[in-house]
Amino acid sequence: MSTLQTRSGRKTVEAAPSRRLMIWTAVFVVAAMLPIVAGPSYYVTVLINLLIRLPFTLSLSYVIGRLGLFTMAHSAFLGIGAYVAAILAQRYGVNPWLTLPASVAASAAVAAFIGFAVLRLKGLFLAVSTLAFALFIEVLVRQSEITGGAYGITDIPPLTIAGTPIRGILFYELALAALALTVILFWNIKNSPFGRAGTAAQDNEHAAAAAGINVARVRIAGFTLSAAVAGLSGWLYAFYHLTVNPFLFSLDLTFVALFMVLIGGLGSMVGVAIGTTLLSLGPELIGFATTQQVLASGVLVLIVVLLAPRGIGGLINEFNSRKAWRKDGDVRSSVTPAA
Amino acid sequence: MEFLPQIMISGAQVGCIYAMMALSYFIILSATGILNFAQGEWMMLSAVLGVVLLALGLPYPIAILVSVAATVAVCQFFEWSVIRPLQRRNADMTILVVALLGILVVVRYSVGLTFGREDVPIPGAFEPTPIILGSSAFIQPQTLVIYVATALTFGALWLFLQRTWFGRSFRIAAIDPIGAQVVGVNLARIRFSSFAIGAAIAAILGWLYAPLYAAGYGIGAAPGVKGFIALLVGGVGSPWGSLAGGMLLGLFEVATAYYVGSLWSEGIGFALLMVFLIFWPSGLLGGMRGR
Repeated sequence: MSTLQTRSGRKTVEAAPSRRLMIWTAVFVVAAMLPIVAGPSYYVTVLINLLIRLPFTLSLSYVIGRLGLFTMAHSAFLGIGAYVAAILAQRYGVNPWLTLPASVAASAAVAAFIGFAVLRLKGLFLAVSTLAFALFIEVLVRQSEITGGAYGITDIPPLTIAGTPIRGILFYELALAALALTVILFWNIKNSPFGRAGTAAQDNEHAAAAAGINVARVRIAGFTLSAAVAGLSGWLYAFYHLTVNPFLFSLDLTFVALFMVLIGGLGSMVGVAIGTTLLSLGPELIGFATTQQVLASGVLVLIVVLLAPRGIGGLINEFNSRKAWRKDGDVRSSVTPAA
Repeated sequence: MEFLPQIMISGAQVGCIYAMMALSYFIILSATGILNFAQGEWMMLSAVLGVVLLALGLPYPIAILVSVAATVAVCQFFEWSVIRPLQRRNADMTILVVALLGILVVVRYSVGLTFGREDVPIPGAFEPTPIILGSSAFIQPQTLVIYVATALTFGALWLFLQRTWFGRSFRIAAIDPIGAQVVGVNLARIRFSSFAIGAAIAAILGWLYAPLYAAGYGIGAAPGVKGFIALLVGGVGSPWGSLAGGMLLGLFEVATAYYVGSLWSEGIGFALLMVFLIFWPSGLLGGMRGR
């Protein structure tokens, strides 16, 4: 594994993927066996909520860390996915499985539409524009008839397989499968020309354009893709909790997710996974964000920003780099000073 | 059509609020290039502190002074402990934005946990009896206070930026930070002062806003965003941009509420933002030179 020093931080590039692949596969197999061995309990609930949240934060980490687009509309895309699923399944009686492509497509479509207008902005301006969009969607959903107004939609029919509703351990496996797909997706993107184009555009827009990369298209594509994954998270949420309400659109969710991403380390999948797990398993998880949880994550993020700006992922990279350097003094993997 | 005078009055009132919010963003943005998300929270903090101080029996003007001063102090604490170290090591924009969000969240939810989640009323400067104007319009005294305060604030800031030596160094720092340092402008002091001025403007706004709406831990959220929209719509090149953008947004919002319905009056802000982003990104009065 080698590390490239780019302007937006250190990015890892895989030289020998097979060992990593084995580790990841092992992790997922163990995770899949976990509830079967441990038995149904409160912990399965907590873990399922974590599994629903992970694709959300991974996609956010991708769009902020690897594309350099600071978006605060992510929870809006999760909410759109959840509500589309809920409306189609509960109000129109559509088969719950068929709502999956609809959810994902809806989030992606809205993202593409917004993206055209908003992705030309940079940094802070992009952030607040997406914030304004998120607030607008929240107001819209809160007021409309079809979304159930302030109460949302309840009694969503659950997913069924061969007649049995998917709950508990079965849902755990489903969510785990979704997470595995997400990880595979982002892993492949990271090492693909498309992913590298995104990072190039993030580092130096003009150089990337000069090299023939269509910066606007890469950005819109990446943004849309991450919104689609957020929609997937929303779909999972809808069919697990079987109720959706406008709280899904609240900015609290976005803030906590942003903090998880930063604490985990931008662009580092493992780091973000750890960060998400840490912040999710803290206080007991009934909803997605309670006041104390948001406050705690805010304080934590300030600490991380001041003391370890590259987050947990950065610390892991540091650790790996130092280990490699000490092992064989190889110049290629020598440590460069942390930011 | 007979609503027009009332729409103008209410629109101007809302417009002043957004203009003040936009101005508090502007002064920090133009002096340091930082868009401080937490401005809405300073507005909230000063209003909430105001409620507490008034409940403790302080006279109205003293309560205003103390709450504004306390809010500025809290803001400066965060500037010193968070922003300054980040600037010193030239941190990424992303990290800076997340830090600002962290501050926003910490302030908002600390207040929420300490003072509770309900919105409480806070009295205005005068008795809230409406003054009837003509056949179909009335105006609250607090609205007049808002007009006057806004005019005074913009006027004072203009004088500061144009006529004082320190204020002119703000403008130089905005146009060309490196050149400003070459001629001896202390950017750190400018950043510190701009944060203080911005927080003060937001804190004053708290006393204008809360008597007409409410004081509670969440009141900073919506005006914060609308203030930014006003800033972008009006243009970041000068403080008058904030005024223009605020007024435009306020009038549109109120007119939409009257003629179409309150659902869409929330949406008009975002629609306006989108239109300006696509067709007129530098805003009504133009963007900054240099930065």
